[in-house]
Amino acid sequence: MLFKRIYQFLIVYTISILFLLMIKMVLSLSDYVIPGVPLIIETAGQVFKTYFFDVMNTLSITVLGQFMSIIMAFTVGIAGRKSSWIGSFIKVTAYNIQAYPIVALAPIIFILLGDGFISRLLIASMICYFPLLLSVLGIMATPVEDVEHFYIVTGQMRWQLEVKIRAFENLSKLTTVISGSATLAMAGTIVAEFIAANAGIGYSIRIALYQSDLAKILIALFVIGIIISMYQGVLETIGEQIKTKWSVSNQGEVI
Amino acid sequence: MHLECNNLNFTYPGSKVAVIDNLSFSMKNPGFKAIFGPSGIGKTSLAKIVANSNTKIDGDIITESMDTILYSYNLERLPGWLSAGNHLNKVTPAGKEALKEELIHIFELYDLLDSRFSQLSMGQQNRMNLIRYLLQDFDLLILDESLANVDEKLRESIILAIKELFANKMFIYISHNLMEVSKFCSQILVFGKTSENKGCFMINGQDYKKNYQLDKHKLDITMLEIMNAF
Repeated sequence: MLFKRIYQFLIVYTISILFLLMIKMVLSLSDYVIPGVPLIIETAGQVFKTYFFDVMNTLSITVLGQFMSIIMAFTVGIAGRKSSWIGSFIKVTAYNIQAYPIVALAPIIFILLGDGFISRLLIASMICYFPLLLSVLGIMATPVEDVEHFYIVTGQMRWQLEVKIRAFENLSKLTTVISGSATLAMAGTIVAEFIAANAGIGYSIRIALYQSDLAKILIALFVIGIIISMYQGVLETIGEQIKTKWSVSNQGEVI
Repeated sequence: MHLECNNLNFTYPGSKVAVIDNLSFSMKNPGFKAIFGPSGIGKTSLAKIVANSNTKIDGDIITESMDTILYSYNLERLPGWLSAGNHLNKVTPAGKEALKEELIHIFELYDLLDSRFSQLSMGQQNRMNLIRYLLQDFDLLILDESLANVDEKLRESIILAIKELFANKMFIYISHNLMEVSKFCSQILVFGKTSENKGCFMINGQDYKKNYQLDKHKLDITMLEIMNAF
């Protein structure tokens, strides 16, 4: 899973670079507009280490922000799963808020909280929170009737059991949603760093942008891609291990 | 023990066609009763209405000496995070461990207790599901195709054992097996085909039990009566 993600990224990245080089060749563009391979390699030697630590800085915010989002999404999702008025209220509110582009609120957060750790964390978690919440709400609010029926009619159903049944039956969906939300959290953090932060890979890209240095931006994208692929691969591997330990494969031997 | 329906009408919300139209019947005394009829005629709907007193209906359902009515069906699943045996242990009320062991033996599931539910065949799944219902407190248990996919010989021994072990309980058995309902049930509510404008009929079955002599001629008559009403 981990290596598959990295291979996929490397293929896409290589194709993109080749496409850029093709444009450069066809239109006879200078290295200032689209850098050639020697310049990209030279720039990589200069900035790779710095960018690697910048991405790790961004990733630390991403992981923390995503963790906060998962906790919040499950808390609200579990509270909002019922068809009571409070459940309906939570669902309607979540659907309405997620329709608003949260990133547009980022400047307000920077004005109120200043640039730094808290603002980046808040924006990262807000951006991945709502898609996560909608998925968790959808899963938690959908009864698994053929499993739940017995517990309901015999009066043995408890909310913890209900949540466990629904989470277990949708484990693949939850794993996909959580690993997918890593990209959103990363995007949120980088956007926050673009706008006003003073650290992280988004901040470095902003500087490279002011310098019109596409080589640096390409190196930054490469490091971001490799690191996020590894992070998503780790999340998916953890998800697979949870699934294997919690249940046996459906393709298991029929007795 | 008495279950009676008077002038029962039921239409699903949003539908214009009544699933149950002016149905009246009465089932008395413990034992096996049956609901028989073609697919989609309203057998499951009736069972669910009887089991769920909160359903909005037009008409009366009268129950006497029936505090707990349970409805089980053949597509139910046990959660997959534990073995089937562990789940049975978890849902067995205190004091019913011996009954659980006996049922596992009768239902021939002893070797499968360590398996996960998803690893069992459909017949094994249905037997495992039925055991957990039989371990609960109930007065009336509705078995909606609950023994589907179980081979005929084992199904017969299971039904006979249930009749013996739960002699003071009422069961409503929903099945498409004409021979089975005629042989094992004392009363059979037959839903006639709506396309032929046939109503519902209550027919007496042979109520076969262990050590009883089955009169094959009477069984044939019961089957013919059902086929005529069907």
